[in-house]
Amino acid sequence: MQLKNKHKPVRRGLALATASLLGVPVVNTANALQPSSEWEVDTSILFYAETDRVSLAEPIIRARKDIGDDQFLTMKLVLDTLTGSSANGAVATGSAQTFTTPSGQGTYTAGANETPLDDSFHDTRVALSGEWERPLGASTRAIFGVNASTEYDYQSIGVSATFNWDFNQKNSTLTAGLAYNADTVNPVGGAPVGFTPMPTFPSVKATQGTGLSKDVGDLIIGWTQILGRKDLMQVNFVYGNESGYLTDPYKILSVVDGTTGDTNSYVYEQRPDSRSRQAFFWRWSHMFEEDVFRISYRYYTDDWGIASNTVDMHYRFEINPRHYLEPHVRYYAQSAADFYHTSLIDGQSYDNASADYRLADMTDTTIGLKYGVSLSNKSEFSIRAEHMLQQADPSQVIGNQSAQDLVPDVTANMLTFNYTLQW
Amino acid sequence: MKKVLILILMLVSANVFASDIPRIPVQTDTQPILLQDLKGQVVYVDFWASWCGPCRKSFPWLNQMQQKYGAKGFKVIAINVDSDRELAAAFLKENMAKFTIGYDAAGELASAFQVQGMPSSFIIDRKGVIRHAHVGFREKEINLLETQIQDLVTEDHLKTSAKE
Amino acid sequence: MMKPIFSMAILAIALSQTACSMQPVQPWERDSLAQRKMQLVPYPNDAFLDEHIYFSKEASRGGAGVGGGGCGCN
Repeated sequence: MQLKNKHKPVRRGLALATASLLGVPVVNTANALQPSSEWEVDTSILFYAETDRVSLAEPIIRARKDIGDDQFLTMKLVLDTLTGSSANGAVATGSAQTFTTPSGQGTYTAGANETPLDDSFHDTRVALSGEWERPLGASTRAIFGVNASTEYDYQSIGVSATFNWDFNQKNSTLTAGLAYNADTVNPVGGAPVGFTPMPTFPSVKATQGTGLSKDVGDLIIGWTQILGRKDLMQVNFVYGNESGYLTDPYKILSVVDGTTGDTNSYVYEQRPDSRSRQAFFWRWSHMFEEDVFRISYRYYTDDWGIASNTVDMHYRFEINPRHYLEPHVRYYAQSAADFYHTSLIDGQSYDNASADYRLADMTDTTIGLKYGVSLSNKSEFSIRAEHMLQQADPSQVIGNQSAQDLVPDVTANMLTFNYTLQW
Repeated sequence: MKKVLILILMLVSANVFASDIPRIPVQTDTQPILLQDLKGQVVYVDFWASWCGPCRKSFPWLNQMQQKYGAKGFKVIAINVDSDRELAAAFLKENMAKFTIGYDAAGELASAFQVQGMPSSFIIDRKGVIRHAHVGFREKEINLLETQIQDLVTEDHLKTSAKE
Repeated sequence: MMKPIFSMAILAIALSQTACSMQPVQPWERDSLAQRKMQLVPYPNDAFLDEHIYFSKEASRGGAGVGGGGCGCN
């Protein structure tokens, strides 16, 4: 039985070279981080920036403790600070446009041939979550979780429970999980009534009150199968349901002339008050000597008419036992929501409508590279750089709109630093 | 009826472990050990690996047991199943073992003992019969394990005195 | 709408079931599977950040969750 790891001659040469450059002694030890430890603290910070749009910084601190009797406690604190501007849903036109801010206390403008962007959001969100893992029997484990988050216009609180049953000498695992979240939305200036016009400052918008609620329920059934000593696969089926206020209170639509395509007015968007979704998810991990290849596929569909396919791949190259390089590719394609309209036609009536490009026919391509280094056999540092390109198509192009880039591409760059420590 | 038979078969297969010690010698850093040669002592055979979390917790306790009962004819043999001996060495540097370490990289002994999970322990009496088998290492089972060791260590002593 | 999901799920589970006819991986052979890089989620913070980004920028969510694999100890 082949058991000893054989380092390829070329890679060994490379390993010696890099090791001597960094002054790290060449030791053939286990790949740094231990499979388990009493404490594990994982800190990361993400810097995300879209070209000309939103930027955010998101630090995370995650701590996991072995509390004995095969029980573990995990706590996580996440902060995210968002700045910059995002598309408000109106389309670019040949002349400058003026909009009223959500608070109703000011205005902002978009130049001719510019996609209107609302930059009045500067928000900090804090999220806290906890998980308790424990065995329930010889081959059964449970994970109970709670989570809560808050930002100035949105609060969320939730609970979850997941159960795992092991079979066939722990080669197979059946997973069943349930999660419930209760969210409250307090939009700035109140939640606008759907399809009412965006007022010209200083008039105020028609509102339907504050403290609107949204309930989200999720069910997951999964099967994990070990296919070999270096081979693991998982298949999940997810069912989710959301009900309540699902509209984006800050987004509008341009109402245009049915022939010329020129903008006549703006109205607030409205989405259905329920959403039922299903997803099928598959993933596979395979170890080649020491390198690891991971791939996942997800098919998603919901009753808003959206269907999507996602393929995500990573390949971790072990440069030597202390350093690795992991390229990443992700491809995502979705079909538009039934009520997605790039703009509305004046005179037509709609049940629901949104011009949020995130609900349009869209593809999202990401490429990335991660570099990780073990600082000791109990700590690791890594840097991850990613580039994302999002391209969406308008639902309709009317008259003079053909002169505009109605749904421009969005590109984003991400840089994440991570430090993991065990003791 | 079929269901009952299948159930019985499953239960039986789950509980079967070799009651006779396998004749495969245990490789060590020095001389190989034949478990049969250890008759007269109570032997605690433990299967461990560098990648096994609960194994880390078992070592201090094994040290304690070896020290407490060693003089009364008790021997711990901890058999490592790592495919790379250097990984075992790294583990031992951080988790000192004051008992005998064996190596079974090919898994022959683990297979012969029909190890059901990691870690696994087998307590063998002075006559060379496997009397107890445990899958996993849990802090709450420490008292039970120690009682089982104590009983086997004092067992023959009682029998011989009863004969007299 | 549901049919493609069900047939995909059944196919995947059927494929994975063929593994049961293969030799199961023994408890003492879990060395590679025990390593962090072979867990279903090898980098929990990365997975969380990605999930957050894509949930915010796209119309789909969910799928991943937890599961088996690992060292199988205790």
